[in-house]
Amino acid sequence: MRTYLKILVGLIVVGAIALLAFILVPVQRTPAQAQLPDDWQPEEGQGEYAMRIADCAACHTAPDGEQFTGGRAIESPLGVIYSSNITPDDATGIGGWSLDDFRAALYDGVRPDGTHLYPAMPYENYRKLSEEDVRALYHYFTEEVEPVRNETPEAELPFPFDQRWTLRGWKWLALDDPGFAADADDPVLARGEYLVEGPGHCSACHTPRNTIMAEAAVDASDEAFLSGGEIAGWTAPALRGPDSAIAGWSQDDLVSIFSTGRNAHAAVNGEMQLVIRDSTQFMSDEDLTAMSAFLVGLNEGTGQARAESETTETETEALIASADPDMPLGTRLYIDNCNACHFANGRGADEVFPELDGNSLVTAESPTGLISMILEGSELPSTPKRPYSLRMPGFADRLTDEEVAELASFVRQGWSNDAGPVSAASVAELRGKAQAKME
Amino acid sequence: MTPRFLQTSRRAFLGGSAAAAALAALSEGAQAQQPLPPLEEYAPVFLTPAEWAFVMAATARIIPSDGDGPGAQETRVPVFIDRQLAGDFGAATDLYMQGPFTPDADMNLGTQSPLTPAEIYRQGIAAFETWCSNELGAAFADLPADQQDSALQALADDDVGLEPELREFWTLLLQNTKEGYFADPRHGGNAGMQAWVYIGFPGARANFHEWAGRDEAYPLGPVDIAGERA
Repeated sequence: MRTYLKILVGLIVVGAIALLAFILVPVQRTPAQAQLPDDWQPEEGQGEYAMRIADCAACHTAPDGEQFTGGRAIESPLGVIYSSNITPDDATGIGGWSLDDFRAALYDGVRPDGTHLYPAMPYENYRKLSEEDVRALYHYFTEEVEPVRNETPEAELPFPFDQRWTLRGWKWLALDDPGFAADADDPVLARGEYLVEGPGHCSACHTPRNTIMAEAAVDASDEAFLSGGEIAGWTAPALRGPDSAIAGWSQDDLVSIFSTGRNAHAAVNGEMQLVIRDSTQFMSDEDLTAMSAFLVGLNEGTGQARAESETTETETEALIASADPDMPLGTRLYIDNCNACHFANGRGADEVFPELDGNSLVTAESPTGLISMILEGSELPSTPKRPYSLRMPGFADRLTDEEVAELASFVRQGWSNDAGPVSAASVAELRGKAQAKME
Repeated sequence: MTPRFLQTSRRAFLGGSAAAAALAALSEGAQAQQPLPPLEEYAPVFLTPAEWAFVMAATARIIPSDGDGPGAQETRVPVFIDRQLAGDFGAATDLYMQGPFTPDADMNLGTQSPLTPAEIYRQGIAAFETWCSNELGAAFADLPADQQDSALQALADDDVGLEPELREFWTLLLQNTKEGYFADPRHGGNAGMQAWVYIGFPGARANFHEWAGRDEAYPLGPVDIAGERA
């Protein structure tokens, strides 16, 4: 009996020491992955460009806030996380951070005091940033950006997720080796691979999360990478595989959507509009080409079926064109509300009205994005190549919940689409949220 | 002839209503169309009771109810006119209203009146009613239909002695009656889209691509800006 007690006490002591060590022993920070001279300086504009390709602005700027001062609410499945102030302010920002401190935030998700950052900060992807880009970013955020005092709110997460020290264990499981090595030999494809996997952090939204809510893959060699995810309830469509939203798209189609938010097939919606607004429209033609070539490569062999269905008249198109007064309500609502721009064949008009046939927002498994689009509408960002902020109006005032449900169900099943129906209850819930947001 | 700049610019109108719709959209949510209260129960916003009686009677002669289609009364044209006079149109918000004013200038020089459309209605109705009681012995609304018609003809011919700054009164009344009859129901007239149904106009649907050149009637009834069907 005494022996058992001794063992038990011993285990408790060992466990307590291990726990304290887990909490208190400083995290090993990942060192630089390449050596640059101490006096290395970015070229004129290189820091800002690195900020653009890593899209720091989208998350680290609140909707009505000053750039990079944080405070933007980021909805995670567990609760709301607020982005931090990354201006070089001593009290509330990153003022006084060393290069190693800065790199540790990007690579390891830790602050200089050892506090763990929630993985809303995509350090799973930023671990692949080149040392040049890290140094360029460090120069930009410490030398080029003005310090602004702005306290940001603490995350609103329930216990135990509010215990940041537990993230240390999460990182043991979630984080891959740091650094980037291209799989592609071709230098253009390799550059595209780097942009997509690293700074572009496309995978943060477009890759599903695994059981511990880490990205299921951070490397394109894994089929799960970019196979579709979710962001704030909206579907971030698959960018490869059988459900790829960009199947059959040409390299030019992709360059067009990155530089203008629109192309012959689609118009960007939801959070992707911020990516165009703050990041991709500023990328060089070379980088856009590289990224697009890489994504086209991920989709080789898909998109044949789509191309064939584009030429034949569908039953849906024939029904709309008939203007038969006895048609079902969903079709009638389409004629009365949508047909003016998206047309009977559901193909819209290039670079103006997106296609609804085969549209990833329309056919997403979760109809949240589609319902929100019908209720609230959407506005494309203005870019130098396409300055006009094309706007789809919201239809909340025209349509009841039942009508939105009928209409959404119709477009989800019209033409060659084959997605599940939408209930009026789902519409009512999203209408309530939209109203709360306005107030 | 209607002076061109008294007419609402279609572009400005659409822009303004799109902004208003966007604001209204999320704050109110979609509501089922409420049945309209009877026209007699409508409480005018701008017009006095006597003016309302005149507008009711005059528009009923311009688009009478015993013709082939619906009249100004059933389509609630007087409501449209009252609301327009109470709003930006009545207040001449979109018109250049600085001097110099030369009300009796040649008609080809366009509107020269220092008065807003609301003021033209107010003073024009008063002046015309004085003419009616002096020449015909009764308020316009109390005259028999044939005398109302000849009184309106005299007004249209500028034979009722209106001051020069009121000379647009008849063109405004005629123009606003037509507008109230055919405008979208959101502005108070064209109730139930009756005028659109009557002439076969399919409303705010904006795309009839598949029907261009087809020698048959378009089968669907109209839809209005609020999305209602008739």
